[in-house]
Amino acid sequence: MIREYITMKARILVVDDDEALAEMIGIVLRNDGFEPVFCADGGQALEVFRSSKPDLVLLDLMLPGSDGIEVCRQIRGESDVPIVMLTAKSDTSDVVRGLESGADDYVPKPFKPAELVARVRARLRPGEQKAPETLRIADVTIDVAGHLVTRAGERISLTPLEFDLLVALARKPWQVFTRELLLEQVWGYRHAADTRLVNVHVQRLRSKIERDPEAPEVVLTVRGVGYKAGS
Amino acid sequence: MVSDIKQVPDLPAGKSSPSDPELSSSTPQHEGHQQGAPGVPEMVSAPEAPAAPPRNLRWLLNRARIWTRRSLILVLRVSRLVALGVRQLRPALRFLWRSLVRRWRRSLEFRTVLTTLLLAVTSFAIVGAYLSNQIANNLFQERLSQAESETRYNVKQVQDTFDGAQVTDQSSVITLVYDTLNAVEGRGSVVQRRYVFEAMPEQTKPRNRWVESRASDQLTVRVIPPELRKAVQEGGKQQFWASTQFPVGNEDHPGIAVGNKVTFNGTVYELYLIYDLDTAQKTLDEIQSVLWAGGAVLVLMIAAIAWYVTRNVVSPVSHAAVVSEKLAAGQLQERMVVKGEDEVARLGASFNHMAASLQEQITQLATLSQMQQRFVSDVSHELRTPLTTVRMAAEVLFDAREDFDPINKRSAELLYHQVERFQSLLSDLLEISRFDAGAAVLDAEPQDIFQVITHVMEGAAPVAAEYGSEVRLSSRQKHIIVEMDSRRIDRILRNLLLNALEHGEGKPVQISVAANADAVAVSVRDHGIGMTAAEAARVFDRFWRADPARARTTGGSGLGLSIAAEDTKLHNGWLQAWGRKGAGSNFRLTLPLQQGGVIAKSPLLLEPADIELPGTTPERQMLVWGSGSGSLGQVAGTAGRMATDLHPKDLNTEIGEEK
Repeated sequence: MIREYITMKARILVVDDDEALAEMIGIVLRNDGFEPVFCADGGQALEVFRSSKPDLVLLDLMLPGSDGIEVCRQIRGESDVPIVMLTAKSDTSDVVRGLESGADDYVPKPFKPAELVARVRARLRPGEQKAPETLRIADVTIDVAGHLVTRAGERISLTPLEFDLLVALARKPWQVFTRELLLEQVWGYRHAADTRLVNVHVQRLRSKIERDPEAPEVVLTVRGVGYKAGS
Repeated sequence: MVSDIKQVPDLPAGKSSPSDPELSSSTPQHEGHQQGAPGVPEMVSAPEAPAAPPRNLRWLLNRARIWTRRSLILVLRVSRLVALGVRQLRPALRFLWRSLVRRWRRSLEFRTVLTTLLLAVTSFAIVGAYLSNQIANNLFQERLSQAESETRYNVKQVQDTFDGAQVTDQSSVITLVYDTLNAVEGRGSVVQRRYVFEAMPEQTKPRNRWVESRASDQLTVRVIPPELRKAVQEGGKQQFWASTQFPVGNEDHPGIAVGNKVTFNGTVYELYLIYDLDTAQKTLDEIQSVLWAGGAVLVLMIAAIAWYVTRNVVSPVSHAAVVSEKLAAGQLQERMVVKGEDEVARLGASFNHMAASLQEQITQLATLSQMQQRFVSDVSHELRTPLTTVRMAAEVLFDAREDFDPINKRSAELLYHQVERFQSLLSDLLEISRFDAGAAVLDAEPQDIFQVITHVMEGAAPVAAEYGSEVRLSSRQKHIIVEMDSRRIDRILRNLLLNALEHGEGKPVQISVAANADAVAVSVRDHGIGMTAAEAARVFDRFWRADPARARTTGGSGLGLSIAAEDTKLHNGWLQAWGRKGAGSNFRLTLPLQQGGVIAKSPLLLEPADIELPGTTPERQMLVWGSGSGSLGQVAGTAGRMATDLHPKDLNTEIGEEK
């Protein structure tokens, strides 16, 4: 169903120093109709990224040469392309650090092939056919079809994931979203996942769209439940 | 004439007034006071009183009344102030008392010094009392024997003079008696003894009895104790004595009165000689004050010595206490200061030795355990990457198993399942190593516990369906907001629920939730094979299994409950197990509502009250979960329907309806 929207094979850059794992990931991705590109060295990751122009990056957090987190930051510095981290560390601090450096999602090792593919698909999802629609939260205006967010005429640049998160909240300003619900709607998780994903991305979103991230007006926290759009 | 003589001690105005200002102040004369001259003797002011005009007197009376009223008001005010002061002072006094009590309990030094002080004061009081009593006795005895012998001599002199007298007319008799008696007082300016001379009552009055009584200056017969008089009157020729008090100038002096009988012209007189004990009293006072002062100085010195000695002994001990407290708090480099070679120094040296070896051991242990934990963590991490590859390969093979021959197909299946198991074991091991390393941190925020419970029930639904067990949730509350790390609580509850399903033998599993003021409890109850109390005590041990021979059906790592226990500990909560063979088991998780809160009592019972006791009716068993009347917010649903049926919202409406 989703694949219908993918007219050509999506290209995926796999940045991993473990050749066996990279090869295995390649087999699985190819099996599901993706086109993998490999890079084993973090130092060359940016070059390969520039030359191959992938639709998504699978990034190992522990890389020789340069740190996965550093690579993530570099890529995020010049592109909004979805980044999914592969991580052997499920320690809170590492995951949060990875997400804060710009990754959209992460898959903890060891993962199932189906899990990996599902994560990749969810990030590649081009989104529903967007009707021309304008949403407002507080003083922020969202042009859904144009993928444009403005505040007082000033454009705010958001990654696709942050945009999706904001739109999900803005569409139903009366509803309080639990983290699980947001994981399902924005990240496409069908089962339980790490709610820290939501926390970190909400923080990042706030840092971009709030006047004062300490006293949010656009994305509000509902104690004990989740988040909702401000009015 | 006789009456004149009788008034002798009071009368001679010229003699008494200059030396007697007391008289003027004791007589209630308004004028004397109001004229602002209280020092003016009565003799001067008295003649003016009748001469004062009546108007002036009335004015004075008015003034007096005003002043009385004013002074009354002043007294009232002062007393109110004093009462206020006492009331204000009471908390301060109480505080002082408490701090003293605390000092007494906590400070050996203070206690020793205070005890020494009290004991010293007591012993000095006893010794001082004994000494001053002894001295007083001796002084008195000495004076008494002197008085007795002097009296004997003087009385004999008087009697001899009277016996040899050849006078018959009144004036010469009076002169003789007065002279004789005055001679008794002794020569010189200092009066050596005083006398009281009184005719014995109940005698027929001889014709020439002109002298009725006579006494020294300021004295009357009233200063003689009646017992002494009685003894003298009834006794024969012997002497009697008694202690007495008599006025000298403005004050009363203690004295000894020695009484005798004297005969003159056929009349029997009582003659009392009174000896002043004032000097003796003064000496005694002086000795006593010296004793007091000496005692006080000695007591203070003893207190100072006690303080000094105790301090010398206690200060190393308290120093050691401070140092060991610091050591216990983790400042392992802390040491005692060692001076000299005495016992205290030996204590310090051995203390330091102990601290050094402790420090060494602890550092060694810490390094060792750190290394071990690092190792476990590194191994787990290093294993993960190849494991991922293996797992993916296994899954690719597993997915394609239909194309294989039976042997390869089964191999692919085995490979797939065992890789799964290996992976869960590895992740549990890693989790445990994280706890052991102290690297696990609580990521707590307020959340509704029902959200977590529903989530766990949804997740366990396929497993419950597999076992054919029903999972029931019952609670009287709708929402319970708990400050918790929901990821960890989810893991604990999932573990408990899967455990209950695994051992529940297809019978219903009951989840109960309740909260009180400071804690929330979730209990998971199964009615399966159960376990003994000894097994329940070991159930949280790592890799422990009640029956090693039992098939590992769900393929748990054996670490699930240990991790649950660690997760609970991180929340400062309780995780307890109860079980009985054949009656199932009950696991209860109790969490503080606020992190850092203390659980006083769990809102749920650990031992489920639904256990069949002899004589208990099924109806009574039903009351268990609600712990109230029949208003149980119990919701039942098959495991498969849980996702829709057991949402907290639905639960609320059900509870609402029941109410």
